[in-house]
Amino acid sequence: MLPAKGLSPYRRFRNAILGILTGIAFVLAVTPLLAIIYIAYDRGKNALSLSFITSMPSGFPVGIEGGIANGIVGSLILIMLASLLSVPVGVWAGLYLWDQAHTGFAKATRLLSDLLLGVPSVIWGVVGYYVFSTNTGFGFHWGFSGLAAGLTLGFIMIPIVTRVTEQALRDVPRSYIEGALALGASRFQVVRGLAVPAAITGIGTGVLLGVLNVLGQTAPLVFTNYYNTGIPHSLVGSNGSVGDLAMQIFIYIHEPSKALHVKAMAAALVLTVIVLLLDMGIRLLAWGSRKYAQRMG
Amino acid sequence: MESNNAEGVTFPAKGPAAKIRVSNFSAYYGKVQALHDVDFDILDRRITALIGPSGCGKSTFLRSLNRMNDFYSGFRVEGMATLDGEDIYGSQVNPVLIRQRVGMVFQKPNPFQKSIFENVAYGLRIQGVRSKSVLSDIVEKSLRAAALWEEVKDRLSGSAFSLSGGQQQRLCIARALAVEPEVILLDEPASALDPISTARIEELMQDLKDRYTIAIVTHNMQQAARVSDRTAFFLDGTLVEIGETSRIFTNPEDSRTEDYITGRFG
Repeated sequence: MLPAKGLSPYRRFRNAILGILTGIAFVLAVTPLLAIIYIAYDRGKNALSLSFITSMPSGFPVGIEGGIANGIVGSLILIMLASLLSVPVGVWAGLYLWDQAHTGFAKATRLLSDLLLGVPSVIWGVVGYYVFSTNTGFGFHWGFSGLAAGLTLGFIMIPIVTRVTEQALRDVPRSYIEGALALGASRFQVVRGLAVPAAITGIGTGVLLGVLNVLGQTAPLVFTNYYNTGIPHSLVGSNGSVGDLAMQIFIYIHEPSKALHVKAMAAALVLTVIVLLLDMGIRLLAWGSRKYAQRMG
Repeated sequence: MESNNAEGVTFPAKGPAAKIRVSNFSAYYGKVQALHDVDFDILDRRITALIGPSGCGKSTFLRSLNRMNDFYSGFRVEGMATLDGEDIYGSQVNPVLIRQRVGMVFQKPNPFQKSIFENVAYGLRIQGVRSKSVLSDIVEKSLRAAALWEEVKDRLSGSAFSLSGGQQQRLCIARALAVEPEVILLDEPASALDPISTARIEELMQDLKDRYTIAIVTHNMQQAARVSDRTAFFLDGTLVEIGETSRIFTNPEDSRTEDYITGRFG
């Protein structure tokens, strides 16, 4: 005889348990974000104003008056420098690993790239110092500077962009690629015209992950750039340091000054909003370029 | 016997020439041998059906003819395969040019994430055709040839994904026709389609065979009997028998062929 129709008590029980666990997981995942936004807003709201993001820090200790324009500009400079290095190199490497997936050289490259992902950022900072910043021995002798920091951050970004680009390309269905090859398309035409447009959202996500990672780094900056309360005229040399939001928060929160702590929390909120804007911007860019590729050959 | 007088002008006595000629052809995936010493002629402007149980090597064989297996690491071939006398696997041969002459339609419809128009135009665009009027002409001609024009002429800029499965497959055929190949390889083109769409594809093949050499892999015995002029039966990577479809299905020489087409295995 068949059991009665409907869910058995055991299945109903299991449904309930899994539903509750899913709910708990959701709360655990969302709480930190809401907590960051709430705490940063609650403790920093008194410092928030339009002039906070448009004016330079002043007063004594520096920052007690004025805003964080130096940090915003500096962070954007660092992101740009890091992206200029890592996006071409990382995307190209990702394309290579996807195209030559099974060759020995690609396997070795993939392994080394993954190892780089695990290198602590403080080590990147020290190596960046020896290669770019220090004025003795070999290296570029750029001093504590935006260029030294931007390139160090760029090297941190490369394996992230590489990994995500390769994964995004692997998610493009094989049948799609074969369809184009069977029409007599060359490897390059397939990559440029079909594979990359189909994977562009994923590649954009990779770049975004890299940028966000870089935006939150402080350890490499300690060794290659430190901090600047103004905006430099040059990106190398003794006055080449740039401001940086994460560094600025780090420094303000270490000062024995209630007013600077408020500014640090306000800066944290601004940083969160910048992350959100970058996220939306890169998504928009990926969406636009896919539309463009669909219209063109 | 072959009734080869349909177009008797060119080859009154000998029948149609071999468009693709394969001899002593073996294929390997790494250490696994997928094809053993296949000898096979695909005749010009005839439909050749490839039948056999799953894993018998018929798809491997088909994909070897336009070098679509090149992308599997460890794939290699031995023996000879020629297209109009030219070695398909010759060291001087660019596989891209082979694929421009030998088109392919796959089991699952695989339109690009582009408009209907751009799907058909893709093969021309990658060859550098830019003229809007040339593209429009060829797109229309190809869609008509694939019996799809009437259904899509008012929405050429719409997404290819808005079409039904059968329409998508005819779009893929139109896309293959647009680059004017000499040979079209069909790898189970109707296995994912409903009977009405299947019938349309089969009618289409009859229309196309005046101009194209067609090879079709199918699991459907009735389909092979309905559409093809010649049928080849593969088993375990070997070509067991090839001949006129009417003879293969009524009077096969090999008992294994008879067992297969009468449904005793496979």
